[in-house]
Amino acid sequence: MKKRTISILATLMFFVLAITGGVSAQDDSITLTMTAWDIATIPYWQAVIDAYEAENLNVTIELREISSAEYQDVLNIQLSGGDDTDIITVKDIPGYNAMLSRGQIIPLDSYIESAGIALSIYSGAADELIWEDQIYALPFRSDIWVMYYNKAIFDAAGLEYPSNDMTWAEFDEVARQLTSGSGADKVYGAHFHTWRSAVQLGTVQAGDPIINSDYSFMMPMYDMVTSMQEDGIIMDYGELRAGNIHYSGPFKNGQVAMLPMGSWFIGSLIQAQAEGEFEFDWGVASYPHPEGVEAGTTAGTLTSLAINANSSQQDAAWDFVQFYTGPAGAEVLAESTLPAIRTPEVLDVFVQADGMPEGTAEALQTTTVRLELPMHPLVASVEQILNEEHELIMTRSNSVEDGIAEINRRIGELE
Amino acid sequence: MTAIMTDKQKNQSKLKRQIKEHLIAYSFILPNLLGFAIFTLIPIGFSLALAFMHWDGANRVGWAGLENFQRLMDDETFWIALKNTLIYVAGTVPLTLIASLGLALLLNQPLVGRNIFRTIFFFPYVASLVAVAVVWNLLFFPSAGPVNEFLRAIGVMNPPRWAASVDWALPTVIMASIWKGMGYYMVIYLAALQGIPGILYEAADIDGANAWQKFRYITVPMLTPATFFISVMLTISSFKVFDLIMVMTGGGPGRATNVLVIHTYNTAFRQFEFGYSSAIAMVLFALVLGITIVQFYMERRWVNYM
Repeated sequence: MKKRTISILATLMFFVLAITGGVSAQDDSITLTMTAWDIATIPYWQAVIDAYEAENLNVTIELREISSAEYQDVLNIQLSGGDDTDIITVKDIPGYNAMLSRGQIIPLDSYIESAGIALSIYSGAADELIWEDQIYALPFRSDIWVMYYNKAIFDAAGLEYPSNDMTWAEFDEVARQLTSGSGADKVYGAHFHTWRSAVQLGTVQAGDPIINSDYSFMMPMYDMVTSMQEDGIIMDYGELRAGNIHYSGPFKNGQVAMLPMGSWFIGSLIQAQAEGEFEFDWGVASYPHPEGVEAGTTAGTLTSLAINANSSQQDAAWDFVQFYTGPAGAEVLAESTLPAIRTPEVLDVFVQADGMPEGTAEALQTTTVRLELPMHPLVASVEQILNEEHELIMTRSNSVEDGIAEINRRIGELE
Repeated sequence: MTAIMTDKQKNQSKLKRQIKEHLIAYSFILPNLLGFAIFTLIPIGFSLALAFMHWDGANRVGWAGLENFQRLMDDETFWIALKNTLIYVAGTVPLTLIASLGLALLLNQPLVGRNIFRTIFFFPYVASLVAVAVVWNLLFFPSAGPVNEFLRAIGVMNPPRWAASVDWALPTVIMASIWKGMGYYMVIYLAALQGIPGILYEAADIDGANAWQKFRYITVPMLTPATFFISVMLTISSFKVFDLIMVMTGGGPGRATNVLVIHTYNTAFRQFEFGYSSAIAMVLFALVLGITIVQFYMERRWVNYM
């Protein structure tokens, strides 16, 4: 009997403590979670969070890393499993399309209206995210493709640095002049990363849509790239794939003279140079363009933020998203990457970052930006086909004509 | 309280004892059965049901009837994947069998350091699959890898481009798979070899049999149970190959190494068509089941259990 009394008393005490303990711990601290990739090498994730937390002392934001190579695959599975990460970073349009068609991210129109945000501040970038009159994400980064070049290699060959008005034909010529050496000392005139976009973006500058019935507009670019590969001007695609070689490696090692790549690389290169990973001087020029297309035409990608439909803190998440994608966030972002809001003040901050090469401001002037992949219900299947056929052309398993014919046939059967 | 029991009471208590014994037996099996039911049986049932539906993972499930299977018939990627899977199985199963049998025969001899060799040959089976795939890719690197350098050194002018070539990607993956799996089956064969009674060989010696005859008339027949087991296990696991190919080539170049499970994965997680993907999975299931039933049927013909 005594034992029973004691145990009953103990249980009562436990409950009393639990309730009062809970009450006294009550405050309004909020923890938000956000998906991100490459946190170690991309400085802006934490920079914007720090700026927001400094102004909102009761909010902490945790980043949840997903590897960049499998970002959308992993995210899709997590969201299908009911993940409740509050803020979802949208890495590309097919991923955006997938998430909104499955109701995994919420429309932001009511939030945008009550906050009085005018989408025109994004210079048209936000319009690409509108689907059936609703918008499900706001852009914070709007990257364009540019061309990075190694000044030391140009100096050694006695050539002038690339101008901001280079055609692809001139690009080919210069690359051939700069290729030299062999084996471990070889210097390649150019480098095309293994993504199909590294080659295919050069085909959409004239305005041909990437979802098309006839892909022969891709032939000139593929002809150029495959002959460069044949002649050893660029690294072999099959080997880049087999060795999983990232584009930053060959460029930082000084093996590559010219690298067409997205503007997101600028921040990484500045940081790498500051940390002493390489010592040569480098520059940024505008993306080369086809003959007859205006200089300053380039391809672009948007990185945006969305709010998880499963999140239990959507209002708090919106407050953070608004900061991140608004002018305040843009100013912090501009220290290492190109924000979606591109007022002259913001661009000034960007080009004045330590270590930014001269002439970057001019290189970033664009006349037309073509989106890499538009919103379209079939975009995932089209991308799968384009990826597979790109592999076959680049590994020389198919000639360029056969490869393009295959693309036409397979995409034709999709509809 | 020791009363004398009637026959009826004896039968009743016997029945109770039997029931109790059965319950104890079932309770031993229950944990494993529960695990099997929850993690294997129910998902397979779910997948079978999904094969007749349309579902994208988030919106409502819709009835599709036989549409998914009709789509299968016209899907070019499905037929390519099926062909690649059959080639992969036809290459991996016999070659792994022969390799592991050969290794077991060799390492059953009284050699110096044969335990070390047995460990070395078993090691690939336990090595991390991703590590194996990455190192294999580096070894078979088309331009600067050791294998091609060696081939060029002995005079082969244009060595194949291995995982970067449409014709050689599947053989490369098959080789990696054989190398990785043969250690495990070698151990099974070793055990079986050591179970063959020595008197059979002595009798053969007395009759004047040479090494080849001993192998053909004693070793191989006595090993048929092990061979049967290995061929069934190998066939099933070869049909289900996914991770090795995914890491080595990702299904490429193009669709050269796209096998059924990779196609299932792509349709489910890249294109969000879980219904169609389940239909492909069901076809694979039926195929493997059919082949295994045929193998079991043939067992009676050629397997000797002494």
